[in-house]
Amino acid sequence: MTIPLEDIDLRLDAATAGPWQAVVWNDPVNLMSYVTHVFRTYFGYTRERAEQLMLAVHHVGHAVVAEGAREQMELHVQAMHDYGLWATVREGDA
Amino acid sequence: MSTKVLMELSLLEAAHLTDLVEQFADLLAESGEADERTPAPDDPAILRLVPDAYRTDDDAAHEFRRLTQGDLLARRRDDAALVLGTLQRDGQALQPADIDRVDAETPLIVELDPASVSAWLRTLTSVRLVLATRLGITDDDAHDADDPRFGVYDWLGFRLEGLLQALED
Repeated sequence: MTIPLEDIDLRLDAATAGPWQAVVWNDPVNLMSYVTHVFRTYFGYTRERAEQLMLAVHHVGHAVVAEGAREQMELHVQAMHDYGLWATVREGDA
Repeated sequence: MSTKVLMELSLLEAAHLTDLVEQFADLLAESGEADERTPAPDDPAILRLVPDAYRTDDDAAHEFRRLTQGDLLARRRDDAALVLGTLQRDGQALQPADIDRVDAETPLIVELDPASVSAWLRTLTSVRLVLATRLGITDDDAHDADDPRFGVYDWLGFRLEGLLQALED
């Protein structure tokens, strides 16, 4: 039984900000256009926001793509893995 | 993304892509079903598809793996099967050996509904990740022009880019 991830609707604005973060890391394989596509499609970010995050991943090496409750960040990271992105969960700065 | 996307490949391209995705499906099958302990995959290429979700907490990483790895790898198998289905001609899988010179450039129009587009994006990406691991691509500049596998890797990127472009139009 596989979970239809596309059906999970997790809007950032519906989440209470929490101390956990979903982080996407740079890799030399995934295309910049693909990473932007994932951020737009999955998170529903605007093109501008998605491109900002993609560029941060590319140039800084990683970017926090969402913050909130730990379980929710784990769902986001699982979704990023499903897209082939390298993502991790971590505790945010206090 | 509600409308269908049309992709045009040559028959030879479609046959080679079929071969590549079949190899990917075989690799996934070899990685086996996750057992209860859900160890991390031995093959670094498969491991890249299900990376550790925690960098500094091994217990949390293992628990995440236990909960997600089986589903994620099953989805890779399902996606690969869906892609292979869209690449068939007259219900038959194309094989490079069966394509003669005359047929090689014959176009194959592949019609993709949203679910198929999603499966294509994820599968092209996954196959590129596997190839990158095999080729030892660890930074943006790693590129050995003499290795023909880089040609395949680049071609997959070209097709992926084309598909993303088609979604924008």
